[in-house]
Amino acid sequence: MRLALRELRRSRRKFVPTMAALALLVVLLLLLGGLLDGLFLGSTGALRSQQSELAVYSDSARDSVIRSRIDLATRATIEGVPGVASTNGLGVALVGTRVPGETTIADTAVIGYEGAVNGVPDPPPPGQAWADRSLKADGVSEGDVLKVGPTRIPVTVKGFVSDTNFLQQGALWVEPDTWRTILDQSRPGAAVDPGVFQTVWVQVEPGADPATVAKAIDAATGTTTTLTRQEAVLAIPGIKEQKSTFTQIIGVTFFVSGLVVALFFALLTLERTAMLGVLKAVGASSRQLVTTLATQTVVVTVIAYVIGAVIAVALSLVAPADVPLTITASRAVFVAVGVLVAALVGGAISLRRIIRIDPASAIGTGT
Amino acid sequence: MRASSPHPEGSCSVRDPDFPNATSGNAGQPEGVPHPVRLAFREISRARLRFMLLAGAAGLLVFLILFQSTLLTTLLSFFSGALETQSGQVVVYSDEARKNPEGSVIPPATVDQVAAVRGVAEAGPFGIGTMTARAGGKELDVALLGYELGGPGAPTRLVTGRLPRTDGEGVASDIDASRGFAIGDTVTIIGPDGKYPITIVGLSEKARFSVQPGVFVSYPTFEAASKVKNPDAIAILPSMVVANPDPGVSPATVADRINRQVAGVQALDRATAVTSLPGVAAVTTSFNIIQGLAFIVVTLVVGIFFVILTVQKAAALTLLRAIGAGTGELVRSLLVQVLAVMIAAIGVGAFFLLVASLASGSSFPISFDPVMVLTRGAVIIVLALLASLAAIRRVLKIDPIAATVPAGIDL
Repeated sequence: MRLALRELRRSRRKFVPTMAALALLVVLLLLLGGLLDGLFLGSTGALRSQQSELAVYSDSARDSVIRSRIDLATRATIEGVPGVASTNGLGVALVGTRVPGETTIADTAVIGYEGAVNGVPDPPPPGQAWADRSLKADGVSEGDVLKVGPTRIPVTVKGFVSDTNFLQQGALWVEPDTWRTILDQSRPGAAVDPGVFQTVWVQVEPGADPATVAKAIDAATGTTTTLTRQEAVLAIPGIKEQKSTFTQIIGVTFFVSGLVVALFFALLTLERTAMLGVLKAVGASSRQLVTTLATQTVVVTVIAYVIGAVIAVALSLVAPADVPLTITASRAVFVAVGVLVAALVGGAISLRRIIRIDPASAIGTGT
Repeated sequence: MRASSPHPEGSCSVRDPDFPNATSGNAGQPEGVPHPVRLAFREISRARLRFMLLAGAAGLLVFLILFQSTLLTTLLSFFSGALETQSGQVVVYSDEARKNPEGSVIPPATVDQVAAVRGVAEAGPFGIGTMTARAGGKELDVALLGYELGGPGAPTRLVTGRLPRTDGEGVASDIDASRGFAIGDTVTIIGPDGKYPITIVGLSEKARFSVQPGVFVSYPTFEAASKVKNPDAIAILPSMVVANPDPGVSPATVADRINRQVAGVQALDRATAVTSLPGVAAVTTSFNIIQGLAFIVVTLVVGIFFVILTVQKAAALTLLRAIGAGTGELVRSLLVQVLAVMIAAIGVGAFFLLVASLASGSSFPISFDPVMVLTRGAVIIVLALLASLAAIRRVLKIDPIAATVPAGIDL
């Protein structure tokens, strides 16, 4: 180990290219992961924050919140299904909103709800809204009177809530009639009758199996599709595709990290073959040389990770507000472990060469 | 300690008995030193497996780049094809929509206001809506595109059949024909309380929208289908206005005039509207990141490979320098090898793309575009030559005197 660290210190320049390439890849991995997390969190907050276990959609909506309609009779049927403890209606209207003092129209998701949402208080009085904190970037402040939709319906911001957006649009949580008014006037083609919601969320009785209750609901109504909360989150348009695309890019980047480390350490080992031969000739074992290589790989990777993480965090701080970049602690740990594993696997490719070094070559070379 | 003369590994061309005779015909070459091109190719021929593996690996990466470029073109046409190929050269959204057709609602009076703007030859309502439909025995999402028959907004890339002449008829995207959208098929829009059948009478190229099968129908058909989709609807309003300018007036000029004269709208020329679609920018950015990564990988792999190769044959290169080869000749030989490997890699990548294009189905066509292959190939070659600078640096540092000193002895 001492040999590894001493060589790193004495021959810093040799390791700089590897470190720089790895640091760049760490920046890329953290930014890609941050973008994936930002897109996911910013699109799904409204559904992730539901306390209910199940979401009921109309059959013909094909799991789209916007296209679904649950009328009063269907809701009554759902409430009569054994295992259903309570229901809460939920509807969304995606509309532009004018913010006082701002020239740019904010993208907002006006969400009508009846309660049971984590982090969101009970519905405010008509004409008022709990605004998602992300709307502060659009200039929204507490007490502001926002003008919602093309008919500019006034909605006063009562306070702020966190992580509740829908499809990257800032959430405005309102009571059901305010939502229906906004939907009717802004999207007359998507209007709903009084009492109708787009989806109904179901809390199951303690001890009841959500999957069994879901099947019972669909059997009882004959016109609905019931999903678990997690399924409903993944059914939001684009979420699955985003996740799979970014996961593939991140996978390729990890592979590249391993490849870069493998090639750099192969080169370093090749350059040091004679020296390693001498070390073996004076008594160093293959295990000691392998430990040296592993130590160097770990040290180079850790330093590269720290440099990369600092750059990525700095970039995320200066990124424009409309870039959905969120670097979470879990993502940072995932990237750190992933890069280290990729580097160790890449570095291991040189082990064979080290083990095969013949100490006699230290004597015979060049003769 | 400095290892001035590493143990030679792998191919060692100076041991080649042919080399002393290789000077014939090489004007200006010192005796015993072959021409750089011949030196490069002779080494390649002696270490065929090694160079083939590199060309193969780089070729796969080149294929990845070429395939992604083609995929991006196809995917973008899936996202925006219907908007790109409809006949209206100017697209007018409500200003709240922020350039998203599915977020736009236009009051009926706005259509007349747009039509009245100077330089507008014709204008009409255009509706876009995602609906649940039954086609080919399956339920799926379709994008219904409603336009005024005879007005702007009609599909312009009809490949077979005809345009709709009456309500209840539609033109679908040709690549969806096998999914229940062939001429004569009935596509049924499904709502909570009813259905609306549309008979396909024509097929058009690039008619998908938001990656869903697109069906162009008359505007009244769009209204009726939207009512089936949501029986509670108060009114079915156009998503946007599409317009065509007078002869000699550019779409951008007309869009600018509409923005100044009509309140509450955002007018764009068709090309700008296509690139501003929400999905288009996201897909383009994702693919650019992947492609950038692939370019970096090709550069790193080629660069490091040739550095390793140079280190491995350092003794041979030192000897060549000692018998009179100039550094320029050795560098030229290296560059010839880089060029040869990359040309072979591009050939491999292009071959795989050709195979992929021949194997692709009509529902997801992959086209072979020689111009794209050549432009991407040129960029890859330039990057590979730049990557070889590290190896060139090593060649330039070779000191011929090292050939006279045994290994392990510092000079």
